[in-house]
Amino acid sequence: MSKALFDLMARLADNKYYLGRRYAEWCSSAPTLEASVAAAAMAQDELGHARALYPLLRTLAPKAGVALDAEIEPETRTQFFTMMALSEPFVGWPDFVAANLLIDSALTQIFVAAQTSSYEPLEGRSRKVLQEERAHNVYGAGWAKRLAREGGAIKAAIEAALRRIWDETLCWFGPEGLDTQSDPLASTGTLDATPDELRARWLAEVGPTLVAAGLALPLRQNATTGAWELTESLPWDRWDADRYRLRALTPTTGSAS
Amino acid sequence: MTKHAATKISPAQTGQTGQPAKQHKRLGTERVWLVLARRAYDEPLRQIGTVEADDGDLAGVYARSIYDEFAWIEMAVVPRDALLTVIGA
Repeated sequence: MSKALFDLMARLADNKYYLGRRYAEWCSSAPTLEASVAAAAMAQDELGHARALYPLLRTLAPKAGVALDAEIEPETRTQFFTMMALSEPFVGWPDFVAANLLIDSALTQIFVAAQTSSYEPLEGRSRKVLQEERAHNVYGAGWAKRLAREGGAIKAAIEAALRRIWDETLCWFGPEGLDTQSDPLASTGTLDATPDELRARWLAEVGPTLVAAGLALPLRQNATTGAWELTESLPWDRWDADRYRLRALTPTTGSAS
Repeated sequence: MTKHAATKISPAQTGQTGQPAKQHKRLGTERVWLVLARRAYDEPLRQIGTVEADDGDLAGVYARSIYDEFAWIEMAVVPRDALLTVIGA
């Protein structure tokens, strides 16, 4: 069993599970009735995707025994590979929109890269996931533009919410500098892209929305190549490669904990 | 001399200071979209409801989420302000 494949499936399932829970916490509290109903629908989608992924952990590690059984079901699972950004409930609506626009679309990029995956169960689930994720993408982009258009404190709030999860979302795609041979997922055909290529695809997707909305994030479009690039380096010193999340900064020293 | 009736402000309208309650700023007004759908090919498209959204893409997302009571074969959204009145009500 490939550890890299097992870890990929685990972090996909865990992040979708927690994203669904965070969406569900807002399905009666969104600013409009329509947004609330759509949030509930998105929550159901994400939880359904997680439910479709968790059983694959058992097939990837069939000899792990009783200990793994408890770890398969989200209700009894104790070790989650969830991003820090999803570990706590959203404080406000801008946090919901930021997670929808950035984290949801990042998870979707994995399924885009898995449409011709050598791991057939992932390839088979990708088509359905991508169909349902189209609406999530429209929702996140629409609300980000809307909040930005309000200007003042509302625009500042959505910018701050996006900025809080920006680094972790980008790091989540995987280490920088791996090529097709050295990346365990690309070299086996599990995904059709390296972490750097996944990041580039994701930036190309969210960049135009952010710029069109006038939201100040550390990215730019290369005038010559048209590629979207980061203008700040990522905080790899805070990256926890085992749990696939960013370590929080300590409040007093500013160092990673 | 004309006597003006005192304007009473109900407790619900005032804060503790007796001043009118502060109105929270609403997000910008949204456009109203008519939702049209049909369940069978021999049925005409008919209006089944409305949604409010900034643009057609979001209106479509809302319409699919809210009006999911049937397995529609076709659904469309159109802005209400695109209607041209031929006979006024």
